[in-house]
Amino acid sequence: MAETLVDIAMMHSDTLVTRAKQGDQNAQGKLVQLWYKRIYNFSYKFFQDHDLAMEASQKTFISMCRSLPGLQDNGRFKSWLYKIAVNYCREEIRKNKGNRSLSFDVVWNREAEDSPGWESTGQRYANPEKQYQQQELSDILQRALMELSDEQREVVIMKEYEGLKFREIAEVLNISENTVKSRLYYGLDGLKKILEKRNITKDSIGYEL
Amino acid sequence: MSYKPDQNDWMAYLYDEMEAAEKEKMEHYLLSNPEARKELEQYQQLRSMMGTVKDKEVIAPPIVVGESRQRFIWNSPYLKTVASIAASLLIIMLVGKVTGTQVSLSGNEFRISFGTSEVPEVKETSRPAEVTPVLTSQQVQEMINQSLNENNVAMQASWKETQQHLDASIRSNLASNSGKIDKLVREASTASQDQIRQFVSSMQAENTQMVKSYFKLSATEQKEYIEDLLVDFAKYLQQQRQDDLQIVQTRLSAIEENTDVFKQETEQILSSIINTVGAPAATETKY
Repeated sequence: MAETLVDIAMMHSDTLVTRAKQGDQNAQGKLVQLWYKRIYNFSYKFFQDHDLAMEASQKTFISMCRSLPGLQDNGRFKSWLYKIAVNYCREEIRKNKGNRSLSFDVVWNREAEDSPGWESTGQRYANPEKQYQQQELSDILQRALMELSDEQREVVIMKEYEGLKFREIAEVLNISENTVKSRLYYGLDGLKKILEKRNITKDSIGYEL
Repeated sequence: MSYKPDQNDWMAYLYDEMEAAEKEKMEHYLLSNPEARKELEQYQQLRSMMGTVKDKEVIAPPIVVGESRQRFIWNSPYLKTVASIAASLLIIMLVGKVTGTQVSLSGNEFRISFGTSEVPEVKETSRPAEVTPVLTSQQVQEMINQSLNENNVAMQASWKETQQHLDASIRSNLASNSGKIDKLVREASTASQDQIRQFVSSMQAENTQMVKSYFKLSATEQKEYIEDLLVDFAKYLQQQRQDDLQIVQTRLSAIEENTDVFKQETEQILSSIINTVGAPAATETKY
């Protein structure tokens, strides 16, 4: 379920935020519906774990509903929301340091057992092999992301996948725009090196993309 | 060309967030620098690879934030634990009270008992135990027998005494009680005779008074009634008389009128007769 244009317009609607701020539960619910997927995907890429991502997202939205009245500038809602999400993600990471338990989904991947990857997705490609390769590449990239430091990973996800502006990321992390850019630079550089190390370069997969 | 982009410029250009002037410079630089072009291409390549990671679909769970944000004092976990400890202590104390639990520590003895304690018995048994080393078992037996005998005698004596006392007290009680009861009965009977007499006399007086007043009342009523009756009768008679008188009067006046009319008629007749009788005579005379 991709966001429709209406949804995207709603996501940035001032009136919705204003109503939610005044305590309108419907507006708050709508905001949660609209932003949940974004925050969940941000957390998921950050943790590579569904349960942790759900935990962090839910905490984020509960916190959002509670502290919305304290939001000064409606225009900054997006960066404000990501700020909450980043804080909860960091908290979860801190809590889970040294906790080496594996999620049940990882140990027993039911989906993988029952059906091939391409069947579970909505899109069907004419070429299942290409689909499979893309899935594999996606997995490799996600694992590579996990090898970056938390700071770099945050910035890369926010920029590349969440499409935040440098200014917005700077607001979220409370750092300067230049620091954001340099973290992104090192993050991308790191990714490039990790992929090169695994022989995944333009030459190996380029023609398939 | 002195312009050389730093990492920040690279990133800004890669994500198309560069100001127009800077961007122009950058493009210029790229045109004249094939290595830089290659680097840019690598970054773009990386970005397109990263694009293969798709968003995961997720359904937002319902998030309901109630109004119960403020925590009351009695809701704090600290107070809750303290309260629960206090409550359990109270329960223990209550149970102890109900079952009469006693815990005592004296010397080397630690005792937990339920119900009332019977300390004297324990003391009696403990004393001989201290003494035994000095005395032989026979002596002890004798002493016990002796004391038992003494006890028995004393007990019997006290039994008899108490029995006598009890008998005496019962007898005296009975005597006094019967006397009292007799007295009470007598008093009650005499009192009741007097009272009956008084009651009867008062009843009689009341009755006579009632009858008297009743007769009085009825006599006056009868009197009044008869008076009314007489008056009515008199009135009636008067009326009757008047009516009769009126009738007689009217009859009389009618008779009077009749006689008057008769008189007139006879007069007329007489006069006409006279006329008729006189006229022929006259005419006869004339002739």
